Amino acid sequence: MIFKLEDVTVYFPYDNIYPEQYSYMLELKRALDAKGHCLLEMPTGTGKTIALLSLITSYVLSKPENPVKLIYCTRTVHEMEKTLAELKLLHNYQTRHLGPAAKILAIGLSSRKNLCVNSRVLAAENRDSVDAACRKRTASWVRALAAENPNIETCEFFENYEKAASAAVLPPGVYTLQDLRAFGKQQGWCPYFLARHMVQFANVVVYSYQYLLDPKVAGIISKEMQKESVVVFDEAHNIDNVCIEALSVSVRRQTLEGATRNLSRINQEIERFKATDAGRLRAEYNRLVEGLALRGNLPNAWLSNPALPSDILKEAVPGNIRRAEHFLHVLRRLVQYLRGRLETENVEKEGPVSFVASITAHAGIDQKTLRFCYERLHSLMLTLEITDTDEFLHIQTICDFATLVGTYTRGFSIIIEPFDERMPHIPDPVLQLSCHDASLAVKPVFDRFQSVVITSGTLSPIDLYPRLLNFHPVVSRSFKMSLTRDCICPMVLTRGSDQLPVSTKFDMRSDPGVARNYGKLLVEMVSIVPDGIVCFFVSYSYMDEIIATWNDSGILKEIMQHKLVFIETQDVVETTLALDNYRKACDCGRGAVFFSVARGKVAEGIDFDRHYGRLVIMFGVPFQYTLSKILLARLEYLRDTFQIKEGDFLTFDALRQAAQCVGRVIRSKADYGMMIFADKRYSRHDKRSKLPGWILSHLRDAHLNLSTDMALHIAREFLRKMAQPYDKAGSIGRKTLLSQADLEKMTNDGSINEMLY
Amino acid sequence: EDEDDNLGLEAWERSYADDRSWEALQEDESGFLRPIDNSAFYHAQYRRRLRTTARIQKGLIRYLYIVIDLSRAAAEMDFRPSRMAVVAKQVEAFVREFFDQNPLSQIGLVTVKDGVANCLTDLGGSPESHIKALMGKLGCSGDSSLQNALDLVQGLLSQIPSYGHREVLILYSALSTCDPGDIMETIQKCKESKIRCSVIGLSAEMFICKHLCQDTGGSYSVALDESHFKELIMEHAPPPPAIAEFAIANLIKMGFPQRAGEGSISICSCHKEVKVGVGYTCPRCKARVCELPTDCRICGLQLVSSPHLARSYHHLFPIAPFDEVTPLLNDPRNRSRSTCFGCQQSLLSSGNKPGLYVACPKCKKHFCLECDIYIHESLHNCPGCESL
Repeated sequence: MIFKLEDVTVYFPYDNIYPEQYSYMLELKRALDAKGHCLLEMPTGTGKTIALLSLITSYVLSKPENPVKLIYCTRTVHEMEKTLAELKLLHNYQTRHLGPAAKILAIGLSSRKNLCVNSRVLAAENRDSVDAACRKRTASWVRALAAENPNIETCEFFENYEKAASAAVLPPGVYTLQDLRAFGKQQGWCPYFLARHMVQFANVVVYSYQYLLDPKVAGIISKEMQKESVVVFDEAHNIDNVCIEALSVSVRRQTLEGATRNLSRINQEIERFKATDAGRLRAEYNRLVEGLALRGNLPNAWLSNPALPSDILKEAVPGNIRRAEHFLHVLRRLVQYLRGRLETENVEKEGPVSFVASITAHAGIDQKTLRFCYERLHSLMLTLEITDTDEFLHIQTICDFATLVGTYTRGFSIIIEPFDERMPHIPDPVLQLSCHDASLAVKPVFDRFQSVVITSGTLSPIDLYPRLLNFHPVVSRSFKMSLTRDCICPMVLTRGSDQLPVSTKFDMRSDPGVARNYGKLLVEMVSIVPDGIVCFFVSYSYMDEIIATWNDSGILKEIMQHKLVFIETQDVVETTLALDNYRKACDCGRGAVFFSVARGKVAEGIDFDRHYGRLVIMFGVPFQYTLSKILLARLEYLRDTFQIKEGDFLTFDALRQAAQCVGRVIRSKADYGMMIFADKRYSRHDKRSKLPGWILSHLRDAHLNLSTDMALHIAREFLRKMAQPYDKAGSIGRKTLLSQADLEKMTNDGSINEMLY
Repeated sequence: EDEDDNLGLEAWERSYADDRSWEALQEDESGFLRPIDNSAFYHAQYRRRLRTTARIQKGLIRYLYIVIDLSRAAAEMDFRPSRMAVVAKQVEAFVREFFDQNPLSQIGLVTVKDGVANCLTDLGGSPESHIKALMGKLGCSGDSSLQNALDLVQGLLSQIPSYGHREVLILYSALSTCDPGDIMETIQKCKESKIRCSVIGLSAEMFICKHLCQDTGGSYSVALDESHFKELIMEHAPPPPAIAEFAIANLIKMGFPQRAGEGSISICSCHKEVKVGVGYTCPRCKARVCELPTDCRICGLQLVSSPHLARSYHHLFPIAPFDEVTPLLNDPRNRSRSTCFGCQQSLLSSGNKPGLYVACPKCKKHFCLECDIYIHESLHNCPGCESL
């Protein structure tokens, strides 16, 4: 359908549109008009992605005078492919209606592991080794050597791509990663380098968060993306954690040992070069004297670092680390110093300033030197022609740490713990540089780009995000789902069948009555809910504990009479296998229960739509481990800097995880599912009100304080009701699918505004 | 008070179909109770039924197996007195209704218990024998197995002649199925042997049942309560549309046996007993059978009587579905037509507001919703068209 949205003609590839999609587009359009940032919350399953894509592409088509580039960030490769597939559909629709004028170039960009087509490189098992295997074949010095010695292996795809030089371009169109690989294979060009090259010309780029937020890889963007871009962070409810992780480093004993090994290897290399090609080291030295700004002349330039203050690029590398051997000494002293710090008996917490002061005092390395470690190391590794970079991860971590500690004076803290709090007998010293301020990593993005859109199914409470990320959105709104039937049924279960309260609160956790009541709840539920049930626990340790109790008391056996039981573990392969079999059991009608952990991999990325999840039970409130030193430091920082109360933040964080967990079961409007929040604390208003609006609006007062038997009755009724055939388009009173004619009519008589608010 | 007048009974005099009448009440926004107006809902349901079946080729000669799930779940008490008892009661009613509407068809019963499927009765045309067999075998235990049931039925149905329509109706209480092998293969086999599988669930929607029904062209429904269950099972009484690739015209050899004379004594071929008087004689081999319709035990000829054929006739020429009329308030012509042509009741609902009603597309006469259902389901003639 094609319709007018104020002054923009929107091309929407489907015949019908949901009302909330329409309002979503309207808000988004206003944000684009205002050239500002926005925060939009809309439940999953309402077609957020397609609404967003079709509005932004149509916006560009309607206003050709200011070309806007769309940078779409997703969390996983799978989501990236899904987004591109939707865009392809949209693009076909637009070109059908507008002809070649609507042609755009849209590409997905991912790591070499996902894009490489060279079978020998792909044989490596993880991302880092694929990268290294690629560098081994494509680095300039390797290729120079290969020109003389045909025994040295190069990558034919890269060679072809280089040969084609400027002729190597992608014709307009939408390319998923798979399309890119196919295109690369067909043309004989390396898809990875082709995609990286085409990023600057593409109208739409889809890639992972890290490419924008992680300072180590964000370099591509900082160079090539123009200001007139719209950056979209999809599924952004955890964006603050991603930002923090991008700037946090932890150093363990193994890291230090590895770093020492790396340093001696580098030392050997330096000696070797000194003997054979002393001129190279000399040339590097001269270059560093001239300053890092001229680094661009280096072959195979490494990606620069946007999170660093811009003056670092203009400044010259300090004299004491210009010579390779001197730099090596500095690193040795740093590693030695860190090793000394790890040998502590007590937990220590320090700010970056005092930490740097102590380094200066004990190791004689000043702040400025620390700051340049990252750049200097890469320059050195290029000079030494090191290609197996995956071997050097340890020393890179140390340099990362040094640069961060030398750069930032606020928002970080260094925490040294001699052992894990939960296992005090096993010494496992760790030094963590933890970032508390999510706005640090995301700030360059907000500053640099015209509009940043943060969107997800759960962004409640929506006013907290601007404070956490320290920006001012021009639009922030939460949309509800328009439904033809009440297809979600949230319930708050506060009591077991014996009327005793249930909770995972610390003092009640070990109460056998609570475990028994939880078990009874599940036993009853498995006998009345068909196909799949997903259970989320607050932590691995709690899950292990409660499953052991259930096993002893025979509850597990009772559950297994009705459904098979699968458990998420920390092992990814095992969990994937369990998930696979869980799906099979749901498909063939045997029925299954999946035990999972909030904040785990399953809770974040796996959908339990349709029969894979008819019911999700959230056992307890998934608070973070509140005694963790890092969390305490962050809470303190948030209170001092952003005036966010500790309790507020903890509840917010727990509830968004809970919402995320239960949201796994509804992925479309035709779907239906029940959600049970099994903890008495959910009935309190301060907790409950932080749930997203689309859940709250279905949480009836009568469902707020249930016991197991009441929940059972409601569940039975609900499942019967949902199994009845229903009218998908909605009746006249409750229109949930709008056709083009409907929209025109509503715009003319003004009832559209009524629908929106 | 109006309501009581309509029904002619006081509230306490009415018998309740199910004893949970309070569930038919809903709260409105301000907390007042209001009964749900079901008539529009039921009518919409009925129309949906009509839409899918009108004017298509029908399979009149049906071979239907009813699979009754007697697993542990059938003992649940959410239907009073238990699911099993309710199912048995409704199956009894269904079997009678089925033979009434499809005199040429045959039924067999299969039960699933302890994960094993048992053939309770073979295909046959006598309602009494099925009902007797079922009532004697009530009792439930163990798990349920969809695959075992389908395998058994598929084996039995694949032997029947090609002109017959093979159907399975599964009354499923359980929410899971414990299968020995891959059920998807069994579903594929059913599809290949053109068996139409329908499922009526008693508690909630199951993916595998839905998948089975979709793949084999059957219908899947879940019962809300006992009366709804009755409705759902009765929907299976009229013949379903024939499967397209299977619907080739075919000549079928049938015999129309004569009723045996009063007082004649002979041994019947079905029970192997000496009978006096009652029974029919096969026109080809002169064997005696007790009931019609059936297949002759001796020569295999299909034996029917002419009223059976005549009764099946109306399925082939259904009345066109009536159009829904949205009443116009100020239409003067409407005044004269504000009564139902069928029952002469006023079409105006309470408060003189015109309610929903329908009109025959041929004779343009107006009917109320109840007459609409009556005409299509029982009468099979439009009074308006007949009186023209």
